[in-house]
Amino acid sequence: MSDPLHDQVRRFILENYLFTDDPAQLGLDDSLLGRGIVDSTGMLEIILFIEEQLGVKVADSEMIPENLDSVNRIAAFVTSKRKAA
Amino acid sequence: MSEKTLTSLLEAAARRRPDEPALSWKAARWSYAQLSGAAAATAAFLQTRGAAPGDRIALLFRNSPHYVAAYYGTLAAGCVTVPLNPHEHAQVLARQMEHSQSQLLLGDPAHPEWSAIAELAVAAGAEAIEVPSEDDAGTHARYLRQMGGPAATGGAGPAPDALATIIYTSGTTGRPKGVMLSHRNLASNTGAIVEYLGLTPEDRGIAVLPFQFSYGNSVLHTHLSIGAELLLEDSIAYPHAVLQRMADEGVTGFSGVPSTFALLLSRCELTAYDLRKLRYLTQAGGPMPKANIQRLRAQLPGARLFVMYGQTEASARLSYLPPERLEDKLGSVGIAIPGVELAVQRADGVPANPNEVGEIVARGPNVMQGYLNDVQATHEALRDGWLHTGDLGHCDDDGFLYIDGRAVEMIKVGAFRVSPQEVEEVIAAIPGVAEVGVTAVPDELLGQAIKAVIVLKDGAHLDVRTVKAHCRQNLAMYKVPKLVVFAGTLPYTATGKVRRLGLA
Repeated sequence: MSDPLHDQVRRFILENYLFTDDPAQLGLDDSLLGRGIVDSTGMLEIILFIEEQLGVKVADSEMIPENLDSVNRIAAFVTSKRKAA
Repeated sequence: MSEKTLTSLLEAAARRRPDEPALSWKAARWSYAQLSGAAAATAAFLQTRGAAPGDRIALLFRNSPHYVAAYYGTLAAGCVTVPLNPHEHAQVLARQMEHSQSQLLLGDPAHPEWSAIAELAVAAGAEAIEVPSEDDAGTHARYLRQMGGPAATGGAGPAPDALATIIYTSGTTGRPKGVMLSHRNLASNTGAIVEYLGLTPEDRGIAVLPFQFSYGNSVLHTHLSIGAELLLEDSIAYPHAVLQRMADEGVTGFSGVPSTFALLLSRCELTAYDLRKLRYLTQAGGPMPKANIQRLRAQLPGARLFVMYGQTEASARLSYLPPERLEDKLGSVGIAIPGVELAVQRADGVPANPNEVGEIVARGPNVMQGYLNDVQATHEALRDGWLHTGDLGHCDDDGFLYIDGRAVEMIKVGAFRVSPQEVEEVIAAIPGVAEVGVTAVPDELLGQAIKAVIVLKDGAHLDVRTVKAHCRQNLAMYKVPKLVVFAGTLPYTATGKVRRLGLA
């Protein structure tokens, strides 16, 4: 599934870690760490992106692969946090 | 009694504590008997494949029990491990395999570079063997099946002065630098670290540093050599998950580089986790900001912090600062580890006076045999009976060592050393680039970040993204410059070399 939120997350990762705007380079379920797309500091930057650009606060306990390791997971996490807010 | 090696130490631990956990990874726990058995099976497997003592075996894994079993099995067969950097691109790794004459590659097919490196290896006449490690349950049994079943442990084992491993410290395209370490190098350094950390079989460490580099490698061997348990992680990307695991499992020791601790401290309140059992921290890999040292001490008052110094050419470790001296010797990397002699020399080889800056030199059983296939670099590093570290430093009046910089240009990005020349070579190959200079700039999290300054040919057009994309395709992720700027000219020294400091 692709919508503006998915696109925004994917664009951020493509632009900053793969240096391209070709969406074919990043599948929505691709593992960001498993594929070696981001490293530890990249993950921290993604968390800052979620907080600053998407307006969702990420708690310590939410920094887990289930919430952050793919475009789909990030989008689902952000969506559920926005609903809960 | 014969001299101990890593393999004899593992076997001894397996005899003493067969059912105690050696490695814990995801949902799997490997006991000492299982790990030792898996290593023996690997050794037998290598022999059936025709591997002879001295043959080089390349390994491409992330941190996992499979890597450890493959590593120790390779050593037990008398072969030489060539641990490949799991962050690096296939073509760089293929050059290292070629340079080390590795005829066999063992690796995890789930690794993103596996298909490419396996193809390149086979094309070069080597064999690539898949050792899947991505299943969560029954990983030990599956590993054994992969290796053709159980095999007898024991045997004479390798000679202490035989080559044990080749660790590539830089992937510079023209000149791979493979540090050759013997069984004695590894075992002696392992023993010295165990001694000053006071490690015991009751310790339970956690490894977040990659085993393919000397620091992570030493964390692995120190625990296995005494029968302690090591929990395996692959990175610090999810600091909360690592801290929670440390609390849940009662971890007693944690090792990191400055950026590891910066990442932990940036997002997590360490006092929120029950880390009462954490009795020590070790930190190496460049200076840690004093503010972070103080924050660590404040948030983890029960853990003793060991600040350390070393390099791959010395197996890993050269010096440590006893934690009780941390306050009065803040900024120092301490004193020589047991069995090692450290000195500071002037350019002519004469010992420097206290507080006089010179080159740090070292000698001891941990000093490498040399660089593979590079007589000149070996001769430069190993002169007059000393390892010349290329680091500048001084000793104070009490003999405590301080690092004052590096004589050899290297950028330290987090845990990794990056050669500016390697990045320059890659950027210079982009059409339109006339000149390029690469340097380090300060970075809050990583210590240093890479900056590239590019001069374009007349009429050429290039944007930052294209440069970064090209680097990403040809370099490991951590080598991609964080900053790329274009300039009309580069600063030069009187001798015509790019003045890197002038680029920052």
